[in-house]
Amino acid sequence: MNLRSDHVGGGAFVGFGVLVLALSGDLPTGQLSMPGAGFLPKLIAAFTIIFGLALFFRARESEPLSTLGWSDGKHAALVIAITAAATALYTSLGFITTMMLMMIGLLVIVERRNVLRAALYSVCTVMVTYAVFVLVLKAPLLTGPLGF
Amino acid sequence: MDRRRFVIGTTASAAALAAGPAFAQETFPSHAVTIINAFPPGGANDAVTRPLAAALEPILKQPVVVETKAGAGGQVGAQVAASSKPDGYTLLSHNNGISGYAEVDKLFGRAPKTTRADFIPLARLVADPILLVVNDQQPYKTLKDFVDDAKKRPDTIVYSSGGLYGATHLPVALLEKATGVPKLRHLPTNGGGPAITALLGNNAQASTQATSATLQHIKAGKLRALASFGGTRSKILPDVPTLKELGYNVEYYLWVGIFAPKGTPPQIVSILSPAIEKAANSDQFKTAVTNLGLEPGYLNAKNFAAFWDADAKRSDEAVKTIGKVQG
Amino acid sequence: METTFISLLHGFEVALQPANLWYAFLGCLVGTLVGVLPGIGPLSGISILLPVTFGLNATQAVIMLAGIYYGSQYGGSTTSILMRIPGEASSVMTCIDGNAMAKKGRAGAALCIAAVGSWIAGTFGIIMLTLIAPPLATLALRFGPPEYTALLVLGLIFLAYMSSTSLVRTLLMACLGLMLGMIGIDNMTGHFRYSFDLAELGDGIGIVPVAVGLFGLGEILATPSHKVVGEVITPKLRELLPNRQEWREAAMPIARGSVLGFIIGIIPGSAHIISSFLSYALEKKVSKHPEQFGKGAVAGVAGPESANNSASTGAFVPMLALGIPTGPITAVLIGALMVHGVSVGPQLVSEHPDVFWGFVASMYVGNLMLLALNLPLVGIFVSVLRIPYTYLYPMIIMFCIIGVYEVSHSIVDVWIMLIMGVLGYGLRKFSFDPAPLVLGLVIAPIFEQSLRQSLIMSNGNYLIFLSRPIALGLVIVSAVLLTLSAISFVLKRKDWRAKLAEAETAES
Repeated sequence: MNLRSDHVGGGAFVGFGVLVLALSGDLPTGQLSMPGAGFLPKLIAAFTIIFGLALFFRARESEPLSTLGWSDGKHAALVIAITAAATALYTSLGFITTMMLMMIGLLVIVERRNVLRAALYSVCTVMVTYAVFVLVLKAPLLTGPLGF
Repeated sequence: MDRRRFVIGTTASAAALAAGPAFAQETFPSHAVTIINAFPPGGANDAVTRPLAAALEPILKQPVVVETKAGAGGQVGAQVAASSKPDGYTLLSHNNGISGYAEVDKLFGRAPKTTRADFIPLARLVADPILLVVNDQQPYKTLKDFVDDAKKRPDTIVYSSGGLYGATHLPVALLEKATGVPKLRHLPTNGGGPAITALLGNNAQASTQATSATLQHIKAGKLRALASFGGTRSKILPDVPTLKELGYNVEYYLWVGIFAPKGTPPQIVSILSPAIEKAANSDQFKTAVTNLGLEPGYLNAKNFAAFWDADAKRSDEAVKTIGKVQG
Repeated sequence: METTFISLLHGFEVALQPANLWYAFLGCLVGTLVGVLPGIGPLSGISILLPVTFGLNATQAVIMLAGIYYGSQYGGSTTSILMRIPGEASSVMTCIDGNAMAKKGRAGAALCIAAVGSWIAGTFGIIMLTLIAPPLATLALRFGPPEYTALLVLGLIFLAYMSSTSLVRTLLMACLGLMLGMIGIDNMTGHFRYSFDLAELGDGIGIVPVAVGLFGLGEILATPSHKVVGEVITPKLRELLPNRQEWREAAMPIARGSVLGFIIGIIPGSAHIISSFLSYALEKKVSKHPEQFGKGAVAGVAGPESANNSASTGAFVPMLALGIPTGPITAVLIGALMVHGVSVGPQLVSEHPDVFWGFVASMYVGNLMLLALNLPLVGIFVSVLRIPYTYLYPMIIMFCIIGVYEVSHSIVDVWIMLIMGVLGYGLRKFSFDPAPLVLGLVIAPIFEQSLRQSLIMSNGNYLIFLSRPIALGLVIVSAVLLTLSAISFVLKRKDWRAKLAEAETAES
């Protein structure tokens, strides 16, 4: 059997539906006339499994898994990593510091731009955004430990 | 670093430490104070907290920022406040909900995320008596009509609330217990506004709602107030009898209070309390609150603490009466 | 009718006083900013500026605050079209075709159509509000849980038209969205569902983090910069305006969106969110070229944008006529009026005609101001696209983070956005379309709640959906739609089998 993209896609949905069912153990199902907290989630998880299976068994119509292009994968992974780091630091470092670091990181590490140009662009963008939010909307963005 | 300098250094920092609280007492607050509001705009909490913050600014001579951290019936805000640094710069504006979370968590066998012990009560700002209101198409003219009919037809009359175990659900449980009504059927909605809309559309026949929220509809004749959960008759609705007058010892208010996280130094509390008292008694704040149809119900820290204990007892009792919902 | 006209004229007298004009302008300006910048939605914008209005009189206060509200609906489409960041739930649908238009170099046209559509829809809404607010409001009150349930069933059927992928894929996406929508405290029983002990998940997963992740971040992840280098879209000034063909394609969707949005807008509750989704599905259903949707169809921008603006005006009907808030924003506006000593209720028109009619008239003026404000801004906004992509996308990610964080000041929401970005990237690889997922997420909590509320009202009897006229009407429409699509499905099947049979006979 040739592994095709819908084998993976359908399989993932079946797995997800089973996971949801497993997590719903303690939720009361109730009856049709008075559905409980677990009624609709279980019902929809069941549908997900059914549709997932349908996709799985019709997978022959889809393209083989090997033809999916992953050339953009490295770029995507780097962007995710840098954004995740920024999210982790956001509440402790504050808006200005985190966002400058994130933009410089994206431009220098991912895009291999000149550090100086990247820094200049990031500082300007972040400061203008900050000023607009604080001065015009009176909605201060997150501040860091140093008061900015 | 040689030994002598080390000794001097430690003494100096010890001195600085000792002087710390006194220093803080003199200068608190040295920067902006944040009041975390655990409820979204559109409710009583937001409407009361913002004018208070505005009145507090000139007294503390620092900006007072209201930050909304709404979610999970006020639990998110309470949790954020409880875990914030207890330095007096983060306060919490909350309501009845703060009393009940622990009891509800107990019911479901969950570890409570916050308990009452996590907070120091600073001031109660308003206390809005709850009213029992019915849709005007319903035949009930008095509480007795309502109770009699409810006894005759158990589990038939539908009442709407702003949410399960919330401040507009618990009073019904108290009422059921006091009057011996076997069971009213509960229609939970997601907020005070939707609960009143359901009542106006006659999708629910009764509801227990705050006076301020229903006043306009009572005046317009769309809703009828049968009884008040207040200790005395309200000045705005003098014709509505209190439950106490009618012989039922039940009292319940929708209140808004200001809290500090546990561990806030007493020196700082002793600066904040009088400041909030002054702000709550300012004309600016009182006008704003009265216009909202609320009766200013300021209580200082001590009286509020006593009130809160009594209120929490009522709330725990009501949660236990309701128990876990079927289904 | 005549008295209405005289009262409206009086309202214009109030609204056209220089001070009131100024506050209307201020409100519209702040509203535009609030709408354009992600994160600060109309709700937080209004409540932040509420204390500023304490010094004004009631009319001025409500004129300014309402200006922020409807002004933000104009600006909401800007980031959707330019950066694929939906600032709020109502502009999710705009980002699909709006951004596709921008990629074809028609960003200016998309923004213009959004602005003009918003203006027409807004003005239509106010005319309806002026003429028939009281009877409409009474009708709106009859829209209880059973009607809601029936409306959402109709919404679920419309789901099938949302995407151009196969039915199984669409349904899978919808199921995923519905399941995500079930996360959080169950309002009916108090159970925490799938919230992994995070209080932030108590109210469920927000639409904004999911939509920004799937559409905004997901797009960036799937677009490696080396592919777009040198491909900067520089729109020429002449090309900023929609051409004749685009106007023609936009006209009917704007009209349909206006009517549909207004009807949904007057329903109390959270239904107005689905107005733009329903409009999108409707446009796709009636379009002669449904295959263009998702690839920059003008109707996919014009319809939803008009619907969402018209819905926001419709929301004023129950508020002004009955004093019931249709949502948190109107609740804040009611609060703002009450702070000024004006109580909102059925007697508002008779007790405070100045406030009521001044407010209504100011909306006509305000909408015109917004059009005048927004059209010239199109040129400025479009120049954002002149920034090379390498430099643009880090800025978009920054706006994604602000936009998601500021909605409820929750870092958990930013993590959700990030996870959804990765999911969006994966879904794209396996050719799934995320739009039905978002609609599922929107519908799930309202549908579940209203279904169970209806059953509480009827004590478990499903006949409640057939015994109330509005609900019955909606159920019939759903049934007809289902039957029609079932018939066409069977016919197609026959068609396909017939062809197969033919092929077989030919072979033998």
